[in-house]
Amino acid sequence: MLEQILNAALNGILLGGVLALLAFGLNLIFGVVKIIHMAYGQFVMLGLYLIYALTMQLHLPLVLSASIAVFAMAILGLLTQLLVIGPLLGAPRLNQLLALAGLIIVFENLAMVIWGADYRGIPLYLPILKIANFYIRGSCLFAFLGALITLGLLYLFLNKTYIGLAIRATAQDTEIVKLMGVNPRSVYFITLAAGGALTGIVAAFFTPIYTVHPHFGSSFTIMAFIIVVLGGMGNLLGGFIGAFIIGVVTSVSAVLTTTEVADIIALVIFILVMLVRPQGLLGTRGI
Amino acid sequence: MLKIEGIGAAYGEFRVLHEISLEVRSGETAIAVGPNGAGKTTLLKVISGLLKPSSGIIYFDGERIDDREPHEIVGLGISLVPERGRLFPYLSVLDNLKIGSFSKKARKDFRKALDETFGLFPILKDRKKQLAGSLSGGERQMLAIARSLMSRPKLVMLDEPSSGLAPKIISRVFEFVRNIKSQGYSILMVEQNARKALELADRAYILESGKLQFHGGKEDFIRNPYIKKAYLGI
Repeated sequence: MLEQILNAALNGILLGGVLALLAFGLNLIFGVVKIIHMAYGQFVMLGLYLIYALTMQLHLPLVLSASIAVFAMAILGLLTQLLVIGPLLGAPRLNQLLALAGLIIVFENLAMVIWGADYRGIPLYLPILKIANFYIRGSCLFAFLGALITLGLLYLFLNKTYIGLAIRATAQDTEIVKLMGVNPRSVYFITLAAGGALTGIVAAFFTPIYTVHPHFGSSFTIMAFIIVVLGGMGNLLGGFIGAFIIGVVTSVSAVLTTTEVADIIALVIFILVMLVRPQGLLGTRGI
Repeated sequence: MLKIEGIGAAYGEFRVLHEISLEVRSGETAIAVGPNGAGKTTLLKVISGLLKPSSGIIYFDGERIDDREPHEIVGLGISLVPERGRLFPYLSVLDNLKIGSFSKKARKDFRKALDETFGLFPILKDRKKQLAGSLSGGERQMLAIARSLMSRPKLVMLDEPSSGLAPKIISRVFEFVRNIKSQGYSILMVEQNARKALELADRAYILESGKLQFHGGKEDFIRNPYIKKAYLGI
C-alpha cells in the first residue's frame, strides 16, 4: 500500500510539472495584461487537434506538426490580443471576462464543426518504465522533462533579456514602464504570443497522453485557474508550487479513493487554502 | 531646448492646465513651484506624453512632440522622475536601472551608463541585488533619479523630489540634483519646497490653479514681495 502511495506521489510530481507549464501561461497573461484568459484550455484543445490533423490527416512527421502547432497557437494568441483583448483593455472587467468566455464557445464549436464529437488521438505507445519498484508512464516522464526544460527556458527569457525585463516591469506598473521607453501594447502582444505558444507546447506534450474532443479544454482551464489562484495570482513561483501540490494531491487521493473523489479532495484543499490565505500561497500584491 | 506654447490639459471635463507657456534652455535648470493641486504633476505628465494636451504645442530640440507616445519621447531624450520615485518594487536595484536603459540608443550605452551611475551613487552598487521595494525613502529617490539618467536624457524632469522625505534626506536629494545640474543636464523640476528649489534655479515659474502666475529669473523671484511672502516665508 505504502509503495502504491509513493508511486502515486511520483506520478503526481510528473503531472505537476505539466500542470505548472499549463498554469504558467495563464499566470503570465494575468500578471502582465491583468486579464483572465478564460479560453486558455481551449487553446490547448485546438493545439491537440492541430497536431492530430497535421499528423494523421496530412501525414506530416509528428515533430514537424508539433512545431507548426506551437507557431500557430502563438499566432492565435496575437489575434486574440488584436481582436478581443486589445479593444477591451479599458472596458469593465465583466466585459473582458464575457468576451473571452465567448471564445470558449467559438473554439469548441469550431472544433466540433471541423472534427466532430469523436475522441481523436494519435496512436503513440511509449513504454512504461520500471524504476526501482515504481512504475512510470514513459509519456508522462517525457512530458515532465519537456515541461521543466520549457519552464527553465522561460525563466531565462524573463530574467536575462530586455524583453523579459520589460514584461516583468509592465506587470508591476503599466504607466511608469512607458517612461522607461517601453510600449506596453507591444509587451501585451508578446505576452499573448508567448502564452499561445505555451499552449501549443503543452498540447505537444499532451499528445502521447490524452485523446482530444471538443470539450477537452474546459477542465484544463479550471485546473490552471485553480493552480494560479492557489499560488497567488500573477506570482509565477507560487503557480509552480501550486501545480505540484494539485498534481500530487489528485494523484495520491485517486489511488486511495477514486478519480472523482480525488477531484473533490483537491478542491476542498483549495477552498481551505483560500479561507486561510485568500491571496494565495505566495500572493502579496492586492488585485 | 524645451519650449511649451499655450498648453491646456484636462482630466475628462475637469480642466487642470490653462494656457501654460514655458521654456527650458540647454544646460539650464527651470523650476515650477506652486501649491498642491496647482497642476504641477499634470504639466510633467503632458510633457512626457502620459497625458495628451487638449491645446497648445510642445517643441523639444525644435521638433514637435505633443502628439508623440511616451516611449518615443523618452527615446528623444526627455526623462521623468515621478513623484516618490515609482520604482518597480519587485525588481532588483540593478533591474530597475536596466529597464531605465530600455530605449534603443540607451541600451547600447548600458555598461558605460551603469558605471557612471554607480560612480554618482555608490550606495546603489552595494545594493544592486536587493529588491527596490526594500530600500529606504532616500535611497529610493536616488534610484529613481539614477534610473532616469540611464535613459541618457538631455532633459531630466523631477516631480517633487522632496516629497515624503525627512528634512535631512531632502537636503541630500537636492545635493544630487545639484550634482546632476553640474554635469550639464537640463532640468525641469516642480516642487512645493520653493526655497530649496530656488537655490538651484536659473529660471522659475509659479503655477497656481492651473495658470502660470509669474515667471522670471532667480533674482526677480527673490525680490517679488508676493512670492517672498507666499512661497519663501520671508
